[in-house]
Amino acid sequence: MLVMIELELRRVRHDRTEIYTRAVQPILWIVVYGTIMSSIKAIPTNGIPYIDYITPGVLVQSTTMISIFYGLIMVWERESGILKKLYVTPTSRYATIIGRCMASGVRALFQVFIVVPVALLIGVRFILNPLYFILALLVILFASGGFAAISIIAATFMKTRERFMGIGQAIIMPLFFASNALYPVTMMPPIIRYFAAYNPMSYEVDAVRGLMISGDLTNLLLDIVGIAIFDLILFAIASANVRKIIE
Amino acid sequence: MVSAVEIKGLTKVYEDKTRALDGVDLSVETGKIFALLGPNGAGKTTLMRILTTQIKPTAGTAYVYGFDVVRNSAQVRESVGYVPQEMSVWTDITGFENLLIYAKLYDIPSPERSTIMRNALEDMGLTEFKDNLVKTYSGGMVRRLEIACALLIRPKILFLDEPTIGLDPSARKIVWERLTQFRREYGATVFFNTHYMDEADLYSDEIGIINKGKIVKSGSPDALKHSLGGEVIIFTLAGNATYKGIRDEIGKLAFVSDVLINDQELRVIVENAETALPEVMVVLRRGDVSVEKISLNKPNLDDVFLMYAGSKLDLDHGIREIRQVRSMIKRG
Repeated sequence: MLVMIELELRRVRHDRTEIYTRAVQPILWIVVYGTIMSSIKAIPTNGIPYIDYITPGVLVQSTTMISIFYGLIMVWERESGILKKLYVTPTSRYATIIGRCMASGVRALFQVFIVVPVALLIGVRFILNPLYFILALLVILFASGGFAAISIIAATFMKTRERFMGIGQAIIMPLFFASNALYPVTMMPPIIRYFAAYNPMSYEVDAVRGLMISGDLTNLLLDIVGIAIFDLILFAIASANVRKIIE
Repeated sequence: MVSAVEIKGLTKVYEDKTRALDGVDLSVETGKIFALLGPNGAGKTTLMRILTTQIKPTAGTAYVYGFDVVRNSAQVRESVGYVPQEMSVWTDITGFENLLIYAKLYDIPSPERSTIMRNALEDMGLTEFKDNLVKTYSGGMVRRLEIACALLIRPKILFLDEPTIGLDPSARKIVWERLTQFRREYGATVFFNTHYMDEADLYSDEIGIINKGKIVKSGSPDALKHSLGGEVIIFTLAGNATYKGIRDEIGKLAFVSDVLINDQELRVIVENAETALPEVMVVLRRGDVSVEKISLNKPNLDDVFLMYAGSKLDLDHGIREIRQVRSMIKRG
């Protein structure tokens, strides 16, 4: 499993373009959308400045974006012979899949180190507790791993890159808007609120917001359990599906 | 001694009812270079994927060094090296890093790792390029890197699916020099798929001809050629008429062992061409067939293939396709 993470880090070392280009969108969300919306003060945020409120949400959205498109690599590796060859190594096929999910999580973490400094520059106040920060990184790592599993599952059904790009957008936008990333769940119409209660992104955002901005950790345990369940289920499905990718 | 590959009645029917393999029986001896020769769609890749435990057969059994590919798939995977037809290395990292990742995947203990990797790079002549990104490699270098990855575990048997497809002749030659050297040094078995007749002829000890999911003939290249008898007379016929009747007439001649017609070429296999030629010409004249050119040849593998598979290999189409795939993949 660790090998897959090492592979990912080595790739990032040789080509950092994706990290930079994918950072543009979250920066725009915070700098442009956040600044404008915070002057309206229409959204109840429990006394937290609006930019500070959405920073964790945008951060989570951008890390999820990386994970959701991770399946593209799988589509590419199937087109090439890499998956076949990996399949013929003695390594457990499940370890390979879970390793790849976590590798995607690691890749996603690079977003944090770009978005957080930008947020700091425009005056977002983070909680300066290294322990909290590390815990937030872990939450993002594991949640991203779960989203990467969704992506890998989608990759087993989508045989071409073009189709996969479409499905990626179709997964990520509903997750983002039906979560507490940009506004509290209580503001939503009941149906969407119901969906948000099962949206793993909500749990992730809540945990990261608590750890980085608000310091409100009342739901932290629930959030972590939620993400753990999400990971377990998706890792199981992705591993079970692995045969299908090859054949 | 246990044979490297032992296959009995192997059949594979895909979900869409395609019968890719239709009762294959085959045995490959340890330490041999075995070529599975056949046109596209004959079932070569399917057979190799079953032998490397990627897919399960519908019926029949297959053993690799005594291990059942279905029941003992884990043991099979530990003793085989495999290079798929498509490009199977990561192009956005260096050659050395590719080897490192595979070495770790194969769980090669770290004290031995660097020696083994150094040897693999040297064996495949890639030492001086090891720190370049694979993107910058030529097709032949990519192939050699893929083989180097497969050699890391010193496999008892190396499976190569169309190892030199899409490579230019000099790159093909280097790949094969390295492969034969590897075989000499480690005494491993090499099992490769190809549709290059000359490659099977030059480098293999044993050839199996596969067509429509069946092994139609196997033997050493020389034995296969001898099995056709003495010599081949090739007539290039003029015009576009069909020569069906002629084929039967010539076949009736006592000294003719076989007659094959392909496009405008009529191939007559005989014991002694010099004495046979005049008599065959008489038959052709009688049938009013005009001949543009005549040549005398020893049978080559093309004739063997034509005889047992009943058709010429359709080369160009497949190669172009693979080239496209490979270059597309390279572009990323």
